[in-house]
Amino acid sequence: MDVTPPRNLSELFMGFLAIGARSFGGVMPWAHRTMVEERRWLTPADFAETIGLCQFLPGPNIGNASIVLGKRWFGVSGSIVAFLGLMALPFIWVMALGALYLEWASDPVVRAVVTGVGATGAGLFMGTALKLGRAIVRRPAALVLVASCFLAVGVGRYSMLIVLPVSAAIGVFFARRGWL
Amino acid sequence: MILLDLAVTFGVLSLIAFGGMPAVMPEMQRLVVEVKGWTTAPEFIQLFAIAQAAPGPNVLIVSLIGWKAAGLPGAVVALLAVCGPAAVLSWWIADLWERFKDSPWRIAIQKAIAPLVVGLILSGGYVLCTPSTPDWCSASIPSPT
Repeated sequence: MDVTPPRNLSELFMGFLAIGARSFGGVMPWAHRTMVEERRWLTPADFAETIGLCQFLPGPNIGNASIVLGKRWFGVSGSIVAFLGLMALPFIWVMALGALYLEWASDPVVRAVVTGVGATGAGLFMGTALKLGRAIVRRPAALVLVASCFLAVGVGRYSMLIVLPVSAAIGVFFARRGWL
Repeated sequence: MILLDLAVTFGVLSLIAFGGMPAVMPEMQRLVVEVKGWTTAPEFIQLFAIAQAAPGPNVLIVSLIGWKAAGLPGAVVALLAVCGPAAVLSWWIADLWERFKDSPWRIAIQKAIAPLVVGLILSGGYVLCTPSTPDWCSASIPSPT
């Protein structure tokens, strides 16, 4: 497949603006569609590898992807332009929706709808966890880590600042022994 | 100085958000609701829902929290703080990552993080519907009485 990276910063900006503008129900499918299918900036394999890296790094995945890709094509200014393009419209929309909600928050129907959307989001989390979990479910050591993380952070409400370093150290130990 | 407080709080979250925003949701809820008191637990869920409903990255919930705490400047500061440190890290690591492709340590770290992310995202879903928060979990289950 022929790929043609963005030629200048304004093309880069418009591309990321298009991703942010349309990203109902998750950004990743739109990022793929815009950068791989429509604009052909990246090969599918290249896209998958970049996203893989960004999922491994801390922070918002797609935000990191805008930084990494912007850097690859145009250095620091590319990173900044891609990030701003990505966030500009979603930021305006979320604030507008927030303001609108505040206006109508006393209406019981509106409250019920918003609560329903929140519940859906919580359910999506469970779905994501199960999907990711399928790949590691056969390893008892991995299940031990999943369960202890859940008990410590979800049920016990211990700070991730404590749980994360401890469980990461245990995880690396398990991995080095070939248990993961 | 609430803007500084927002910047530091979300800046720290940025660096521990392995697995993206869903994984850091329990910690965000704990800090925002229980430690800082910027929103109540029901408000947190509502802001989460608004961010979920709007198009765009789900990280934008932090803008709504920042807005609630300190108006428009708060919204901007919270968003930059939650993206900034991770962005700088991504900037540095992007090249290193390639170079250490076959390093056993990279492979071990990658394998170690996967189960943690699953556990944290589960916690995120759980925290968003537990007793300190709205009662949809109980409300959605028909009560025997």
